[in-house]
Amino acid sequence: MTSDDSHNGTINVPATTDHLHEIREFLRARIRAAGFSEFEENGIVLAVDEACSNLIRHAYHNDPTQSVEVSLAIDPDVVTVSISDTATPFDPNSAQVPDMPTYLQERRNGGLGILIMRRVMDMIDYVPCGPTSNRNMLVLTKRRTA
Amino acid sequence: MNQFTAVTQQDERGICCIDLAGYLDAHTATELESIMNTAITNGCSRIVVNFADLEYISSAGLGVFMVFIESVRSDGGDIKLAAMKPKVFTVFDLLGFPVLFEIYPTVEEAKQAFPSLDA
Repeated sequence: MTSDDSHNGTINVPATTDHLHEIREFLRARIRAAGFSEFEENGIVLAVDEACSNLIRHAYHNDPTQSVEVSLAIDPDVVTVSISDTATPFDPNSAQVPDMPTYLQERRNGGLGILIMRRVMDMIDYVPCGPTSNRNMLVLTKRRTA
Repeated sequence: MNQFTAVTQQDERGICCIDLAGYLDAHTATELESIMNTAITNGCSRIVVNFADLEYISSAGLGVFMVFIESVRSDGGDIKLAAMKPKVFTVFDLLGFPVLFEIYPTVEEAKQAFPSLDA
């Protein structure tokens, strides 16, 4: 389910990984229409995909009765993506990210989503649910570079 | 909608080439893991992954290669990667994966990089 104008909008999908491609397509069309570079578009789409994948797999355990809501707002030079959920709060800013040389040397697997989000996006804000809202909100921000 | 396909074919030198197409994400990575597991279980340790028709990869896709690389190399083989579009290579590069995996411009170059079994 989506609602929007040409550059902004919201998509709400069941919390299962087979819906990730719908989120990516929703973002791509609008970021491209706003004139961001393909490089920036790919980075933002990847970061949001990683955030939603983590949410769906680790917080919702692929539960189709739950949902993930992704809202996009594009100012002339800033893309803001807000991802909201009702799962147990988890602030990705508090997570330890792997040291990649060690990670690769030890042939580890998994746990790269938050590192990708940090490397691609300019800002990651997290507001857990509380008295004013029953939803957690993860806000990813990317400024135009070209 | 068929988001992802992976097709395995073995050449006369015993090299398994896995042709990827579409979108490799947290949903479709399990399919690739199953296909690679089958190839390796069937005795293939010299593997070339052809990325020519792959449009997208996320960290779940990268993770599949991490699952198998150690066991394949301990059997004297390797997983060599080939023909990536720049947007796919960018994701590998973002995390430093080219340090661990050999990445070639073409499938043929990746195959040639395996030593001859006759030697």
